Amino acid sequence: MTTDVRTRVRDGDPAAFAELFDAYARAVYNHAFRLTADWSVAEDVMSATFLEAWRLRDRVDPEGGSLRPWLLGIATNIARNHCRGNRRYRAAVAAGAQAGTAALEVPDHAELVAGRVDDRRRLAAVLAALARLRRPEREVLTLCLWEGLEYTEAAEALGIPVGTVRSRLSRARTRLRKLADAETEPEGRRRQTEGDRTNAVRPAQEGIR
Amino acid sequence: MNAHPSEWEETPRLLPRVERDLPADRHQLHKERLMTRIHEELAASPGPHATAATRPAARHNPFLRRMVLVPLTAGVLAGALATGLFVFGGTEDTGTGGGPGTSAAGPVLTTRLGTADPEGAARLLDTVSLAAAEAPATPVGDGQYVYIESKTSAISVRHVHGTTSLASSPLHRRQTWQSRDGKDGWLIEPGTTGPEGMTLAGTDEHGDEPEPTLNAPSYDYLTALPTDPDVLLAKIYEETKGTGNGPDQEAFTTIGDLLIESYPPAELTAALYKAAAKIPGVVAVDDAVDAAGRHGVAVARLEEATGERTEWIFDRKTHVFLGERTVQAARDPHGVVPRGTVVSTSAVLTRSVVDGVKQLPGAAG
Repeated sequence: MTTDVRTRVRDGDPAAFAELFDAYARAVYNHAFRLTADWSVAEDVMSATFLEAWRLRDRVDPEGGSLRPWLLGIATNIARNHCRGNRRYRAAVAAGAQAGTAALEVPDHAELVAGRVDDRRRLAAVLAALARLRRPEREVLTLCLWEGLEYTEAAEALGIPVGTVRSRLSRARTRLRKLADAETEPEGRRRQTEGDRTNAVRPAQEGIR
Repeated sequence: MNAHPSEWEETPRLLPRVERDLPADRHQLHKERLMTRIHEELAASPGPHATAATRPAARHNPFLRRMVLVPLTAGVLAGALATGLFVFGGTEDTGTGGGPGTSAAGPVLTTRLGTADPEGAARLLDTVSLAAAEAPATPVGDGQYVYIESKTSAISVRHVHGTTSLASSPLHRRQTWQSRDGKDGWLIEPGTTGPEGMTLAGTDEHGDEPEPTLNAPSYDYLTALPTDPDVLLAKIYEETKGTGNGPDQEAFTTIGDLLIESYPPAELTAALYKAAAKIPGVVAVDDAVDAAGRHGVAVARLEEATGERTEWIFDRKTHVFLGERTVQAARDPHGVVPRGTVVSTSAVLTRSVVDGVKQLPGAAG
């Protein structure tokens, strides 16, 4: 089935791209947000990603699994060109924090996460953690942790060796540990209360991987 | 040692992931854009499904161009969204108002549309080309930077709960610095960067320097371009093939981008105007006003697909380039933007050579 999608994408079948968009626009959008810390930029990155995917369609391997890692890789490249320096990323995170975590949400779509204090807190924690990482570490961690890619998939998405994925993740982990040690935050205990809210937050599951 | 990050003890508090959907209308909008592009390209190519071999290479990174280098299109649009949405959302949804550092969205500007004259374009472009060739231009020396200061604003389209409205970003200053080779640079623009600005330097993931292109040129790149208008125009068509809303519009847009935020040598500027005169559909407009309120005459082209007319504005007497704006000159096919709306506007205030980033012309050093 997925091989078929790959073939249709390679052949430039418009319907295949419409399906790709419906299946993965959301994942690309949220991935781009984690890389840019800015929802409106994330929307631009998402839009550019699918146009770029169309342009690069002949590079798709006819054999293989889901095209989701490929799209996330393209989005990572595009986001990188926008967010060239870490300074920029930190500024975006700081701007969000300064205006209160509510500002992390684009209020137009507030129905989705509005009022869910735990979600906002977790999103803020995610951005704060990501802001401590170097960009290459941030990219790899984002793909593996939140997008659930395996090392090989992340390596393929970014066009880097698997060993590089491993070493970046290892550095990311060291930094995260230092960050956690520095905080000694009591909020970790709150986790039990979050379980029942998770489903309510996600009205739609994304497409099949 | 090699546990997946989802199994690390450092990550549980960052999971499960918090995600958001795009609102259905935004999802649909972007999907339609994608499908429009796909169908346009397929219509323009020989077979029902273009093969890789026959498909032209598009520009390297359309996003980079729009986001960083071209204030007139999506860059400002994104900036407007970033500021505008915060403010609007604050009042509509949470009642908390804009936080510190957010700027208010302004009213949408409308304008009187100048009269287009298809016959006048060639003569006007000839005049501005002559003026450009004679304008003194300081060459950029080794280690020096091109500094460009402009004033700019653009509208953004907002979709809230099924209704669509327009907002305009406030007219604001944009300052850019770029090294001769394009490898170093700085940007200060409220709404896009903080007051300190951001670096435009850096390599990509593989440690490669971004290569200058027509749509992201460095000074060195510009000085190496052909100054024969026919050769130049052929190169512009070749390099922008398959991008934008049709080859003629894309060639016109590319030249416009070079006029607004780059530092072409005088001979190249003159050649760009002569090349523009050869693009089908280019007209002269008897009156247009730039973002600094300066009136002038304009060279313009109507983009059929959007009904927008982009105008390059020149001083009526000196024929110096003042700025560029895009106005809704014909009906918006989406029925959102009224005729006469200023979609984006800019004015070049300073274009100069300085010795370092964040240095202003005339400053000591």
